[in-house]
Amino acid sequence: MFRKVLIANRGEIAVRIIRGCRELGIKAVAIYSEADGESLHVRAADEAVCVGPASSSQSYLNIDAIIAAANSVNAEAIHPGYGFLAENADFARAVSAAGLTFIGPSAEAMDLMGSKTSARRVAVESGVPIVPGTVDALSSFAEARDTAEEFGYPVMLKAAAGGGGKGMRLVTSSDELRSAFETAQTEAAAAFGDSALYLEKAVERPRHIEIQIFGDSHGNVVHLGERECSIQRRHQKVIEECPSPINDPDLRRRMGDAAVKIGQTVNYTGAGTVEFLLSDATHEFYFLEMNTRLQVEHPVTELVTGFDLVREQFRVAAGEALSFTQDDVRWVGHAIECRIYAEDPANNFFPSPGTITYLREPSGPGIRIDSGVASRSEVSIHYDPMIAKLAVWGRTREEAIERLRRALDEYHVSGITTTLSFFREVARDAEFVEGKLDTGFIARFNERRTVEDPPEEHVDLAMIAAAIHHSRNQQPVFLQTGSVSASDGRWKMAGRADGLRRWRKS
Amino acid sequence: MKLKAIIEDREQELNVRIDGGRVHAEVGGRVYDLELREPEPGCYLFLRNAAVHECRVSESHEAIDVSLHERNYAVTIVDPKRLRVGSDAHGHQHGLAEITAPMPGKVVRVQIETGATVEKGSGIVVVEAMKMQNEMKSPRKGVVVSINVKPGDTVNAGDVLAVVE
Repeated sequence: MFRKVLIANRGEIAVRIIRGCRELGIKAVAIYSEADGESLHVRAADEAVCVGPASSSQSYLNIDAIIAAANSVNAEAIHPGYGFLAENADFARAVSAAGLTFIGPSAEAMDLMGSKTSARRVAVESGVPIVPGTVDALSSFAEARDTAEEFGYPVMLKAAAGGGGKGMRLVTSSDELRSAFETAQTEAAAAFGDSALYLEKAVERPRHIEIQIFGDSHGNVVHLGERECSIQRRHQKVIEECPSPINDPDLRRRMGDAAVKIGQTVNYTGAGTVEFLLSDATHEFYFLEMNTRLQVEHPVTELVTGFDLVREQFRVAAGEALSFTQDDVRWVGHAIECRIYAEDPANNFFPSPGTITYLREPSGPGIRIDSGVASRSEVSIHYDPMIAKLAVWGRTREEAIERLRRALDEYHVSGITTTLSFFREVARDAEFVEGKLDTGFIARFNERRTVEDPPEEHVDLAMIAAAIHHSRNQQPVFLQTGSVSASDGRWKMAGRADGLRRWRKS
Repeated sequence: MKLKAIIEDREQELNVRIDGGRVHAEVGGRVYDLELREPEPGCYLFLRNAAVHECRVSESHEAIDVSLHERNYAVTIVDPKRLRVGSDAHGHQHGLAEITAPMPGKVVRVQIETGATVEKGSGIVVVEAMKMQNEMKSPRKGVVVSINVKPGDTVNAGDVLAVVE
């Protein structure tokens, strides 16, 4: 096993990997940008090395600086986490060239699965169905327009090098195509340094279900079942669960086999995730893409299977065989994860950076928090706005949802706006409770959601608390009209309208 | 102390007297007799007939944010003794809608010209922040009377990007 590992990441995933190191007696080395010197992942590490200025292109994406950092502290291996360089085959090659171990799949497997176009070819070779779409990157807008006409709208534009919803656009009609094409190209170029796009027919009312796979260098490839990730905004997951509410053993076996076949085709080692679109009507599934890294939502799989995926990653990277076989994998109970973002759900999930003035995280039965922040942490504009993940486990989906509601109510974050209020509503939403999920969930939820008036007593007490606080800090507070600004989303307006109605009644 | 509290565009008269560990308050004619505890700064714990109400209070630039029973309230407190009420410098002119930047970022594209007629929801300006491109849309149907930014401009939260009449 390794003696010392450098974690080429920040935030909650760096903290998660440091925890894995600690359990295995591995010294953990953090890297940080100049903006992150006081971050939680630095405080949690044994050693920490600054790799550059705040901008991630000069720090967390700076391959030379990261390898120099690993060499300066005599680390033996580098764990990339997710995002940043995790799926960059050139980074994996540079790590190997420096005589270090890259904790992840081979650069060849990353090359094959990293580009969506070549990944689709691998799927076809493996006998796994794919969604109709272009196999090669689009050469021009004209080609995009012609292909879209051929498939029929709606179509999906995607960054060939992409992931995480960046450079991805759903286009429902031809007059939206040009703007979407240009925006997706710019975003893809900014996020991945590659503006190449491809185009797919969009599957209607699709469920996004993915299979966790794991391979080792001894020829074993196993799967750890599915994760349902249908609740998304801007094509980024916000709630994930395991098992899927529509799971049955046959579907899991068929999807698991398909994912394992893809893993075998590319001699996959380490943790990987094969994403599928599943038609809610027919339960037919199509290969979407493969993520050649640990996923954000890996905790739900860990909670239900009991395996520690980071621990297995270290084992496999050190050349050992997986600690379990396919027959050892059992799924017990139900787990749900919410990604807590510093975003304003009342304003189209726009990022809300700032300083966390107060933080209280839930705990108790069945609760797991993977957090990258502490009280007084600064949520910077430089990085992804996800601050933590809340995962809950229950014997049944119903019990998991009850725990989720309780945990969300226990969770307090002050100073920044977070998606907690959104999750509190979703956890009480009838369609969510029934497991009626597809990628259009949030759009429909926003249509049907209603804001309940708070009890008059609570409004009064809030005002009394504000008045007491005001008297404690005698600073002039100026009158400000609360007119609805142009950027306000429907939610806030609905909330304000309800407030008005409430007051008029009284 | 006699104050005015504003939540959701509505004003409410408020009379609060703190007496040791107790608070006597009158809000719009409703009387509250509360036990007050302050376990830590920014936390006001009220006990009312044994019912527990924990208020977390933090100050933002425009209001006092109170979190109570999983809800957030933005409360503006006006002290009549300290302020000439009615001097509302921020009043919006009737008929104008400002499209403002909700956070710091960079203007990527301006999608429309001054004088153009727009529908409600038409994209006006695309701003990139935290690696996401966000299309700022017109909140109403009307005519674009000004565009205050160009591609490449850096904007701060609250900056007016464009005005629609």
